[in-house]
Amino acid sequence: MRRGERAAIWFVWLALIAGLGWGVALHLKISSDLRDFVPPARTADQKLLLDEIGKGPGSRLLLLAISGAPQAQLADLSRGLEDALAQDSAFEHVVNGGNDLAEIASDLLPYRYLLSPTLDSHRLDATFLHTQLQQRVEDLSSPAASMLEPWLKRDPTLETLKLARLWAPPRQPKLVDGVWFSDRDEALLVAETRAAGFDPGAQANAIASLQKHFATLPGAAKAKLVISGPGWFGVQASRHTRAEADRFGVITTIGFILMLLLAYRSAVPIVVTALPLLSGAVVGFALLALIFGHAHGITVAFGFTLLGVAQEYPLRVFSHRRIGVATSQCVRELWPLLATAIVSVCIAYLAFFASGVAGLQQLAVFTIGGLVVAGLCTRWLVPLVVPAAKRDMAATSGLAGVWHFLAHLPRPRWLPWLVAVAGIVVVVFAPGKVWQNDLSALTPIPKAELQRDARLRAALGAPDVRYLLLMRALTAEGVLGLSERLAPQMQQLVDRHAVDGYELPSRYLPSAATQRARQAKLPDARDLQAALQQAMQGLPFRAGVFAPFVADVEAARKLTPLMPEKFEQSPLGARLESMLVQQGDGWVGLGTLSGVNDPAAFVALMKETRGAVHLLDLKGSTESLIVAYRQRILIALGIAALLLCAAVTLALRSPRRALHVLGPMTLATLLVLVVLRACGIPLSLFHLVSLTLAAGLGLHYALFFERRTGDEREDLRTLHATLVCVASALLVFGVLALSSVPVLRAIGLTVALGVAFHFMLSVLMAPADHLRRKG
Amino acid sequence: MRVFRDALAAFALTAMATVATAAPGLAETLLAGVAKTPPVSTPFVLVSYRGVLDRPLVVSGSLRWLGGDNMERDIAKPFKETAKIADGTITVQRGSSEVQRMPLARAPQAGAMLAAFRALLGGDVSALQKDFALSAQGSEARWVITLTPRTDALRRQLTSLVIDGRDREPRCLTMTDANGDSSITLVGAMAEQGLRSAAPLESALAARCRNSGQ
Repeated sequence: MRRGERAAIWFVWLALIAGLGWGVALHLKISSDLRDFVPPARTADQKLLLDEIGKGPGSRLLLLAISGAPQAQLADLSRGLEDALAQDSAFEHVVNGGNDLAEIASDLLPYRYLLSPTLDSHRLDATFLHTQLQQRVEDLSSPAASMLEPWLKRDPTLETLKLARLWAPPRQPKLVDGVWFSDRDEALLVAETRAAGFDPGAQANAIASLQKHFATLPGAAKAKLVISGPGWFGVQASRHTRAEADRFGVITTIGFILMLLLAYRSAVPIVVTALPLLSGAVVGFALLALIFGHAHGITVAFGFTLLGVAQEYPLRVFSHRRIGVATSQCVRELWPLLATAIVSVCIAYLAFFASGVAGLQQLAVFTIGGLVVAGLCTRWLVPLVVPAAKRDMAATSGLAGVWHFLAHLPRPRWLPWLVAVAGIVVVVFAPGKVWQNDLSALTPIPKAELQRDARLRAALGAPDVRYLLLMRALTAEGVLGLSERLAPQMQQLVDRHAVDGYELPSRYLPSAATQRARQAKLPDARDLQAALQQAMQGLPFRAGVFAPFVADVEAARKLTPLMPEKFEQSPLGARLESMLVQQGDGWVGLGTLSGVNDPAAFVALMKETRGAVHLLDLKGSTESLIVAYRQRILIALGIAALLLCAAVTLALRSPRRALHVLGPMTLATLLVLVVLRACGIPLSLFHLVSLTLAAGLGLHYALFFERRTGDEREDLRTLHATLVCVASALLVFGVLALSSVPVLRAIGLTVALGVAFHFMLSVLMAPADHLRRKG
Repeated sequence: MRVFRDALAAFALTAMATVATAAPGLAETLLAGVAKTPPVSTPFVLVSYRGVLDRPLVVSGSLRWLGGDNMERDIAKPFKETAKIADGTITVQRGSSEVQRMPLARAPQAGAMLAAFRALLGGDVSALQKDFALSAQGSEARWVITLTPRTDALRRQLTSLVIDGRDREPRCLTMTDANGDSSITLVGAMAEQGLRSAAPLESALAARCRNSGQ
């Protein structure tokens, strides 16, 4: 084939990848919904966690602090930001201390006598009304008179104001210039996003929008906006991880190119090696888009890692080309072994497909599809785009020396057994915890940010993100009643400092029973009129001025109690909506807590209510889900290992030969575990996936070393290919092992160690006679 | 009281000068002569005329400007109340009941009063001009300054604040709310003289403020 034709095919291939990639990018939705990722919930708490995760009242809060300017300017910025966010559909609501709660409550004005606790302790009789009216006279001389006056005729007992106060945040920072300020003179705001707290994509959008609003405010350039909260941390973590991955990506790409130049003395491998892998990736994504329509972000990350095996396919081809022999011929010779590797791995990944977890099924589809396509591209497309070989890699200087050295390493027969036994002992008996169940430990938040979050949270009295108080009942009314009965006990816990603060759903909406009881205490129009007349004696109010009040009370007597559905349509509805949810046949109330000092104190509460009320530890529940997920992965991996053994044995048609391939793989994997355990590193899901990738690479090394070619030069080419593959894997993952991001470090360290061990053991455990034939 | 009077005179002249844009040198000269050393205090009598009431409401006590945006108002009669404006927040404590707090932004009347006092006593006219248009009439011996809100938000609450003064002393602050309610605050010598009737007619009290002869 001529140079022009090859270039044309190369361009078409690249264009196809780009085109398919573009199409997939348009259609595949990358979700961050944890439900795709973890197995179906088993306990009611897990179910609630999955339904409500991130939707919960606390986790959607962003805490904002503005500093770095004079107070008056900060207050203006706070008000400006509050106005902007109030208009922004990404935010449910925003508070900065200056909000007019009386206005919010006006929506529920007709229900005020049913919602306010006044009637629990008072009646609208002459005595009570007289005291109230007396106070109103005094109010009319106060600086705030104009604020009260519009309400006075309808609401002389100021129930609206009482509700506004009741619904205001329980603990508030100090007010300066009408807005909240911290002790460090930062203007404070709390914004509630509409998006779930653990939806990094939507949170990133909301945060970007927030920052844009802030930047356009006059005087914002000099001030500093600090954001905190679960959403912010998630966005920060992924941004930090991506930035570091990108940075290392540049380093490794340059290193990789230099290494290819050094190994092949040609630029051709540089422009070709990436294509099969990229083709596999876009086809994998296309399959996900076709079959599932969406993929979980973590699945994609895992899948890409596992697909890394395909990088080896074209490298093997380049190392095995010979002068005067068509590339297609060389590939054809190589193909049985390559196909064995691909098919074995694919069969193994079928176990993931059978796991029943959507995230793992996606992983299987992506990886199997990707590997098969990368293999097929290597087999049939790579020969079409590469020119004839000008160099035989077997002639690489020093290669024969390396072979001689490797072939004459001592190979005591007892070594594998010793390694195996010692390894198992270390893995089983090493101190320290085996598993890392806390996913957040892999993307840690800088300590300074955590401390700042705690400080802002305390200043704003914002709820704890870790604990929720669950109240279960058959009906919403039942939950509200339970919540009302719970309130005094919660107050006791606050008095005992077991918890700093709490917020229950009944704070917003009393149960219908309570509302009816209050309603029953409302006097009829005639009685009220008479009481009012008596109460007004000696006071300067104009006669008949309270007619709207009498009419409102009369109307309130006939109201049906306010139900959650109706309350949820009010401006405050979102608060209740997030605190009162239907689950299965029943209803759950979610009380938020701040500053949980003594989780054990809630045990008594749980006993008293016979389990209807209990403390949900979100961290604990998430971890239990992670454990369940890991169990599925481990089972899938176990089955995958068995399938792999069967496939390799079948392909090699000899258990003895299979042992030469599978033995080094198993031992190398064990050795990686030994190192990790000995270093006290708890294993996470990322370690497991990395181990799997390393094993996939190890399979290649072992298969190729085990191959009997009877041709000394072909053996040297195999060694060349393996050395290039090992070096490139060590380069990519070794650099990653230096990362400051634990998730990248986990992947890098595990794969780099794995590659090194797999290579060494493949060499040491290859049939000695076959290696030493030359020496 | 001398400081107080000097300050008021300076305010009046500055305000007039600002409006007329005449003789800016004079305003500066006067302002330069003002000693801005708070606290300054004056007795007051507040008479409120409210639509919901059938007779005026009278309270009296003392007003103190502590410098900057800090002001206090003590009501001594007919009940005890202390209201403070500090850090943009109003706190009101009446008798032994709970302290009430609210942002100053929500009580524009109190904000206008504060701005006026700050300008009168501290010579800080610029703060006042941010929210109000000033107009002045009369002479140095008898003057009237009218503050009208510049923003719609303020206009929804407040129609005008009129300050009557004689020589170097303000006498009355008349505030008209957007809903038609009004209040007249007597300060300085006028407050010391007190009211002549328990429920003075608005027109009579306004006339007394205007009529410098009395």
